[in-house]
Amino acid sequence: MTAHRRLLVALAVVALVLAACGVPRDREIGRIDKASATSAEVAAVYERYREVRNAAIELLDPKPLSTIETGPALAIDTGSFEVSQRLNDSQQQNTGAIEILDVETPRFTEYPLWYMSVARDGARGVKRVQIFERASAVDPWLLVSTPEALADTELPPIRTGSRGDAREVDATDDTGMAMSAEDAAVAYVRTLANADAPEAATIEADSFVAQMREAVVVNGGLDGVGFTQEWDSEPVQYVLRTADDGALAFVTLLRTDTYTVQDGLQVTWPDGSPQQAFLQQGIQGVGTLNYYHQVLIYLPGGNDKPRNNKPRVLGQFGGVVSGDAG
Amino acid sequence: MGAALGIAVAGLGIALMVMLGPDNRIMTGPHAIETSGSVVVTAPRLITWTRVQVDLLAELPAQKPVFVGMGNTVDVQSLVAETERIEITKFHTPWKPTLELREGQATVRGAPTALDWWYSSSAGLGGASISTSLPDEPVSFAVVAVGASNLSGLQVTLAYGIKGGFVKGAGLLLVGIGGVLGGWILRRSARFDAEFDANRGEAGELDEQVVFVVVDEDGVERELSAAEVEAGGYDVVDEDEAPGGAGDLP
Repeated sequence: MTAHRRLLVALAVVALVLAACGVPRDREIGRIDKASATSAEVAAVYERYREVRNAAIELLDPKPLSTIETGPALAIDTGSFEVSQRLNDSQQQNTGAIEILDVETPRFTEYPLWYMSVARDGARGVKRVQIFERASAVDPWLLVSTPEALADTELPPIRTGSRGDAREVDATDDTGMAMSAEDAAVAYVRTLANADAPEAATIEADSFVAQMREAVVVNGGLDGVGFTQEWDSEPVQYVLRTADDGALAFVTLLRTDTYTVQDGLQVTWPDGSPQQAFLQQGIQGVGTLNYYHQVLIYLPGGNDKPRNNKPRVLGQFGGVVSGDAG
Repeated sequence: MGAALGIAVAGLGIALMVMLGPDNRIMTGPHAIETSGSVVVTAPRLITWTRVQVDLLAELPAQKPVFVGMGNTVDVQSLVAETERIEITKFHTPWKPTLELREGQATVRGAPTALDWWYSSSAGLGGASISTSLPDEPVSFAVVAVGASNLSGLQVTLAYGIKGGFVKGAGLLLVGIGGVLGGWILRRSARFDAEFDANRGEAGELDEQVVFVVVDEDGVERELSAAEVEAGGYDVVDEDEAPGGAGDLP
């Protein structure tokens, strides 16, 4: 390379470096979107959640919870507080070591925004798989779903894009899976309502189904008491694509237990039970107890592969939210 | 060629310095925006540039409270979507905005000062300003009346530029000057080399000397002329280009 060429190259490189440092750039605006939250925002949201929740626990008053939770998550927690109030019991303080294990933030073109976080609650030996949602730019982040899995439960990895953003899946999209999240919710509802339903063969006979069925057997075996259990589901809103082309869906199930007691008999529950808190006088005649169950359903991907890809429940959180003794 | 590039780079540097000035920006305003509403906002996709340093000052008469902010377009639109507002749908520098009125409620739903998603924001009585660099994300600017107030009498002053642009221009100028000087030095050097080579070619034949040296029986070295060598019938047994080479006796 001659001295002239070397000078030219050096000059061009220096000029380019100097000019490229912070030089403005005009660009084509593609999709207008944003990641639902930054890691700093998530940390701040969790800190506020813990502070308010601890304050509510100290006061044994569920009212502050409405500033950090909403929907069925709030209903379940409020029910739990009401049980404690009526039983004059105290809730466990939520100051244990909560470690955030994972945060998955999809990108959105408009509100509402939401993200998934996984937190380990060492004191209770569970993983909380939670959805926080912000309804609009002027609303706070609120907890909307909070199923719990055993601490050693392995959650399927979430598929992420080039910017680290999680991929949202439409609840009716069954691409790559045995069924869509919405269909899985319906299959669970029908299976829980009737063990002989054809949908029972399409989902995994997991511990959640077994637990609910056992409750039906116990309550249905009471002499002189007619017992029915009905199930329904809310529209599925929060679904993320997993790395195996499957999906992780947050589903809220509504359960109604109806007791029809023969004349002259009364159904009562043991002291300290949530049922006893809501129906302190027991049931004479007809009474109902309403529950919410928030379940985390994994829909494995690869419906073209010869393996078990039936939807299964990885975690759940539920409780009594209201009672009516007729 | 190097000098030409140097001149071009230096010219770019001078242009940058002249355009931006020592404060690194081009300022325009104050400009009045006629509105009785509570929001003036840039439309989605209006701002396509990144890394431009923008200073925005909004002023209201009578010490009315005002808020200025820049945020992601998704957030800003959610804040103002249901509010009556002036939307800046087109803009040409230095100040030629196209304004459109959007119908809606009188005020935004929440206090803009209480929101945590602004990339840059400021509020004040009678005026508020921000100084920010445009990020590589879709963003919108908003001027919002605080409380029950409105934006009547709004005056906006805008400045835009490149952070450290004047110094960068000076740097380009120096690099350009260096290029011109370097080119000149290289040209001179090339000319000198060419002249030297030409001279060397002519003088080389004159300067070339053949020296014959003989060492006699006593070991004494003696120089011979070409004629003596020819007449004496010596054999040249060694030939050195370097001084000090010697021929041996036959």
